[in-house]
Amino acid sequence: MNNETTSRRRFLVSALAISSVATGAFASSLLRESAAWAKDPDNPLARLARLLFPHAALPDSVYADVAARALAMTADNPEAQGLLLAAEQALDAQVAGGDWYEADEEAQLAAMEAVQGEPFFPAASNLFMFTLYTHEECWKAIGYPGSSREYGGYLERGFDDIDWLPETAS
Amino acid sequence: MTRVFDRTDSSVVVVIGSGAGGGTVANELAQKGIDVVCLEAGKRLTLAEVVNDPPTMDERMGWHDERDGKPVWLCKTVGGTTMRWSGVSPRFEKHETQALSTYDGLEDTGLIDWPLRFEELEHYYDLAEDKMGVSGTHGTPASAENNNYKVLKAGAQKIGYSRITSGRMSINSVARHGRPACRQIGFCNSGCAIGAKWSTLYTEIPAAEKTGHFELRSECMVMTINHDKAGRVSGVVYKDASGTMHEQKARAVCVAGNVVETTRILLNSATSKYPTGLANSSDQVGRNYMRHMFGFALAIMPKPVNFHRGARQSGLVYDEQDHNPERGFAGGYLFETLSLDPLNVAAFVGGWGPGTSQYNDSYTHLAGLFLVGEDPPQADNRIRLHPDRKDHNGLPVPVLDYTDHANTIAMREHGVARARAIYESLGAAEFWGGEGPPVGCHNMGVARMSANPEDGVTNGWGQTHDIDNLFVSDGSVIPTSGAANPTLTIVALAIRQADYIAEQMKKRNI
Repeated sequence: MNNETTSRRRFLVSALAISSVATGAFASSLLRESAAWAKDPDNPLARLARLLFPHAALPDSVYADVAARALAMTADNPEAQGLLLAAEQALDAQVAGGDWYEADEEAQLAAMEAVQGEPFFPAASNLFMFTLYTHEECWKAIGYPGSSREYGGYLERGFDDIDWLPETAS
Repeated sequence: MTRVFDRTDSSVVVVIGSGAGGGTVANELAQKGIDVVCLEAGKRLTLAEVVNDPPTMDERMGWHDERDGKPVWLCKTVGGTTMRWSGVSPRFEKHETQALSTYDGLEDTGLIDWPLRFEELEHYYDLAEDKMGVSGTHGTPASAENNNYKVLKAGAQKIGYSRITSGRMSINSVARHGRPACRQIGFCNSGCAIGAKWSTLYTEIPAAEKTGHFELRSECMVMTINHDKAGRVSGVVYKDASGTMHEQKARAVCVAGNVVETTRILLNSATSKYPTGLANSSDQVGRNYMRHMFGFALAIMPKPVNFHRGARQSGLVYDEQDHNPERGFAGGYLFETLSLDPLNVAAFVGGWGPGTSQYNDSYTHLAGLFLVGEDPPQADNRIRLHPDRKDHNGLPVPVLDYTDHANTIAMREHGVARARAIYESLGAAEFWGGEGPPVGCHNMGVARMSANPEDGVTNGWGQTHDIDNLFVSDGSVIPTSGAANPTLTIVALAIRQADYIAEQMKKRNI
C-alpha cells in the first residue's frame, strides 16, 4: 500500500470516528466522501467483505462497491458507523504491526475468527451480506436473475424444466 | 358505492384491521347488509406499486413500529399479512383441535381443546377454500408443479412418504373470480404483482365496498377502545394520517390486529372498570402466544433446480402431521417447499467464509423447504406492554416474551433430519438445516377461545367472555397451533363469526 492509499485509509477511519459522534448533514457529507473513496478496490472494508463472503467469480471492484454501498447505508446511522469503526480497530489490534489490511490472508482470517464473537462483527457482517447479495453483479455471477414480473414470470420460461429426477408416482 | 359513515353513527360495526381476519369478517358482515367501518393503519397500495424487490416492498407494506422481541412479520398495509403470506392453505386435522385430549401429559403447557365441533369447522373450511380459490379444491386443479416441488416430491417418495400434494395453495391455479392464474413470477412474499394470490386488498375489500355497507379508512392507527358505563364497548379511538385523533362510535367492535396489535389494543384500553385491560378478567390476554415450530432446509443438488422460478411455496408433504409420540414429541409438522433469494440463502445458512458462500456459489442447484409444526401454548410465552417505553404514536411498546418448548426443539431436530434424508436420497452434495434467522412466524394465541372463561378470552365464536359486543377476529383466538399455516383457519373462523354476529344482532343481543 502506498502513502496515498494509507492516508486515504486514515481518512476513512477518522471520517467514521467523527461521524460516529456527529449528527445530521455533517456526518452525511463525510460519509459520502468516504463512500466515494471506497470505490478504490484497494481498501480494507472491501477486503473484509471478500473474506466474509468469498466468491471466486467476483472481481475486487464488486467488493469495493459492496463496501461503498455499506458505508452509504450507514450515512444516517452513527451507531452502525461506530460498529464498523470498532470492527476495523479490533481487527487491527489482532495483528502484529497493528494493520490488519497489511497482514497476510492467514493472519487476516485468524483475526476475524478471534473477534467474531464481538457484537460489532455480526453487525458489520450483516451489512456486507446485504449489500453483496442485493448487488446486481453478484446476482449475475451466481445465476440469480432478480425481478421477473417484467418478463411475465417463469410460466413459459422454465419453472418446471427439471429433467434429471427419478420417475415419481403421481 | 363506497359509503361514508358519520363518526357519531353508533349503529356501525367497527373492524380493526383489514387482513385475513378483519377483511373477511368486514366483507361477510357487509354482504349481509350490516354497516361496517374498517380501520386500517396502513396505506392502500395498487398492484402497480407491487415490485419484485423485497426490501422496497418491506418499506411499503411492512410494520416497522417499535417492538421489543423477535420479528413478527406483521404488515401495515390494506390487506395486512395477506399481502405477504405465501398462500399455503392446509386445514387443521381434527386431533389438532383436541390437543388436551390427544397430547396427554405434555409438561409445562396450557393445552386446551377447541370449544367448537370440528364438523362445523369443516363446513366453514369449505366456504373459506371456495372464497380464496384454494388449489385442488372446489373443482380447481392442484397448483402447477415447479422444479423445487418436483425435487421435494421425488425425495419424499424415495424415503417412503406418500401424502404429497402441490395443491392447497390460495394462488389461482386457473383464472377464477376475476383474478388471473399464477404466472410463476416468484416474490410471493412481496405482494403478488398480478393478484393471482388471494389477498383481501383486491378481493374482500372491493367486494365489501360494492355492497354500499362498508367504509375503509386507511392510514388510521387505533389507540384504544372505549366503553360505556355498563361496560359495553362504545367506540374506537384512532389517529388519522394527519395525526388528528377521532372516535368512531360503534355498536360492536371486531379486533383483528395480527395478535401483537390485538394484544396491545386490548391491554392499552384499561380503565377503572377494566383495570387490566379489556376482556382480561381471566388474565389471559397476551398469554399462550404461539409462533409455530419453524425449521428450514437447503440442499445443493447434483444438477440445476433453479428454485427461484415460480411460486415460492408450491406444495407440501403431510406424512409427519399425525400425532405419533414414538418420535419423541407431541403433535406433528408439515414439509412445504420454499425458495430463497441469495440474501436469504446467506442469512439462513448463517456464519461467514467459504462454508456459507458455497450455497450461493451453487445457487442454481439449490432446493429448499420449510418445516412448520405444532407449538404448544405456554402461559409465560406472552405479549405485554412495556411499562415505560412509548413509541412515536405515544403507545406503549409491545414486548414479546417467547421461548421454544422442549417439544418444539425435538420436533425441529426430527424434521431437519428427515429433510436431510429427502435431499440426500437424490444425491445432495451439501445440506444445511436448522432454525434459521428469526425472519417471521405464524402469530397465534393471546386471546384464545375457551369453553371455560377462566381458560381463555373468547367463546367459540371469538366473542369475548367479558364483553358481549367485543369480538376478536384474527389468529389470536386459535387455542392450539396445530401444524397448519393459520390463514385458512383464520378466514374460516371469521366467516363463522360473521354469521354469529349477524344472528346476535338480529336477536338484539348485541
